[in-house]
Amino acid sequence: MKALIIDDSRAMRSILRRIVTALDFETEEAGHGQEALDKLRDGELPDVCLVDWNMPVMDGYTFITEVRSNPDWRGMTLMMVTTESEQRQIVRALAAGAHEYVIKPFTPDAIAEKLEMLGLVGGAA
Amino acid sequence: MTAAPDTYESVSALVRRETAMVYDAGKEYLVEARLRPLATAAGCSTVDEYVRRLPLDAEERRKAMDALTINETSWFRDHAPYQVFTDVLLPRLLEAKAAQRHLRIWSAAASSGQEAYSVAMLLDQHLPAGWTHEIVATDVSTAMLDRVRAARYSAVEVNRGLPATALVRYFERAGNEWEVVPHLREKVTVRHLNLAAPYVGLGHFDLILLRNVLIYFDQDTKHDILRRMRAMVEPHGYLMLGSSETTLDLPSDLAAAWRREQEGRVQVHRPTTGA
Amino acid sequence: MTATAIPAPTHDDVRGVVDEVWETLLGDAAPLMTRLVPARAPFDSAGVWSASVSVSGGWQGIVTVELTEYVAGALAATMLALPEGLEVVDADIADAVGELVNMVGGNVKSLMPGPSVLSLPSVAAGRAAFSSDASEVARVDVTWAEQPVRVCVHVVPAGAAR
Repeated sequence: MKALIIDDSRAMRSILRRIVTALDFETEEAGHGQEALDKLRDGELPDVCLVDWNMPVMDGYTFITEVRSNPDWRGMTLMMVTTESEQRQIVRALAAGAHEYVIKPFTPDAIAEKLEMLGLVGGAA
Repeated sequence: MTAAPDTYESVSALVRRETAMVYDAGKEYLVEARLRPLATAAGCSTVDEYVRRLPLDAEERRKAMDALTINETSWFRDHAPYQVFTDVLLPRLLEAKAAQRHLRIWSAAASSGQEAYSVAMLLDQHLPAGWTHEIVATDVSTAMLDRVRAARYSAVEVNRGLPATALVRYFERAGNEWEVVPHLREKVTVRHLNLAAPYVGLGHFDLILLRNVLIYFDQDTKHDILRRMRAMVEPHGYLMLGSSETTLDLPSDLAAAWRREQEGRVQVHRPTTGA
Repeated sequence: MTATAIPAPTHDDVRGVVDEVWETLLGDAAPLMTRLVPARAPFDSAGVWSASVSVSGGWQGIVTVELTEYVAGALAATMLALPEGLEVVDADIADAVGELVNMVGGNVKSLMPGPSVLSLPSVAAGRAAFSSDASEVARVDVTWAEQPVRVCVHVVPAGAAR
């Protein structure tokens, strides 16, 4: 499994990288939505993107909308990980095509459990 | 900074006397972590000093019991049992209760309520129109029961295993927290109960969730609980234990009273008929 | 002044957010302790980092975090899992403190009438400075590892230029 971690904070990317690496994911990172789109176009597609909302250049909401407009990327799972925590924002993100949503702050278990719910970790076997 | 060994022993004995739960050796750190804030609040400089005070102070003893019996829980914990409930058990219960059109479910170690409300969410989605249900949530900790009643959870808690679709559908923001919507809350009845004490006035249940709690009891109490649970479940009903809890080592009378069935990765127990 | 008419988060709301963010980032080994500081006293420590985010839309406000170099360094080292003893560089601190104020600010925004937009964080070495239009509506003073940490919420009256 491979995860693309999209967050403008290196410190937050580092936290997320440690969590998903412990779950046997390979990781790639991007500092904003545009950089993430470029990575998707150039390389091997990740199984899941962990997407922050507020970022420079291209925010996570726009990134999700862009990803959903490309049929080649339909198989990719999108999970928002953001401090945006109004009910309205969660509804918007889900409507735009996010599969799951984690509110910052979160515990490492929260990420692991959501990835398991999405069928990307353990379980199924 | 850790508490002295005899402190640990006396806490362990106290928990056992008050709740019949067993605190194994090796959980010293847990006792320390959970009692330190209470010790500080009570003006004791060490956990040892605080524990020495407990036999004389009923109010502090109740607080200490609450702190020591807290369960860390997530929504739809372990996932698979809930899947089995929706896909396998519920259709059978709907058939068995077609005349009454009413289901009763017991969350027997409710803790902060995630299990009871997880079931409430599933029933809201899967129970056909015209059916009613009641979920009884019991716990030994009064602090936990207050939490179930309040039905408010922090952002950190709603992140744990709760699908985002369920969060927006079944919760409302309440200040800094998320509150379960009223139509789910009114399905959950809260009762104080020590599993090691008699079960009085609870009625009978179609499903009993007794998950991840037997591990805290000694062997005799555990068997006694399973024996008395037999009378609480309807003949067509089910008992679910935690995923790591096994009934392989039961004495013969109990082994004869419960039939183990494997549903995918999940074990369920049904009362045997007759005998 | 009509600042009282603008909705504001309560002290307890802000404290709740700060406790939660702090515990998930730094663990609960050393809890935040309440610190009594006279009203309007400036953040009283040498070697300070400050960071702020602004909220605009249904609610206009600014959320600011101020902390000492030691706390900021510990936060960065923990978040980035830096090996012990390694010097924490300013860029690391700025990044970590920026993410801290982003998390606190986003949660404060969610308590207020919306919809509103959260700005990207701005981080500086030094105390926070506030425009004269902004009025303080909530302030949380705590200590962590015996070092002061402050979180402030200011509101900006509609129409006031920042």
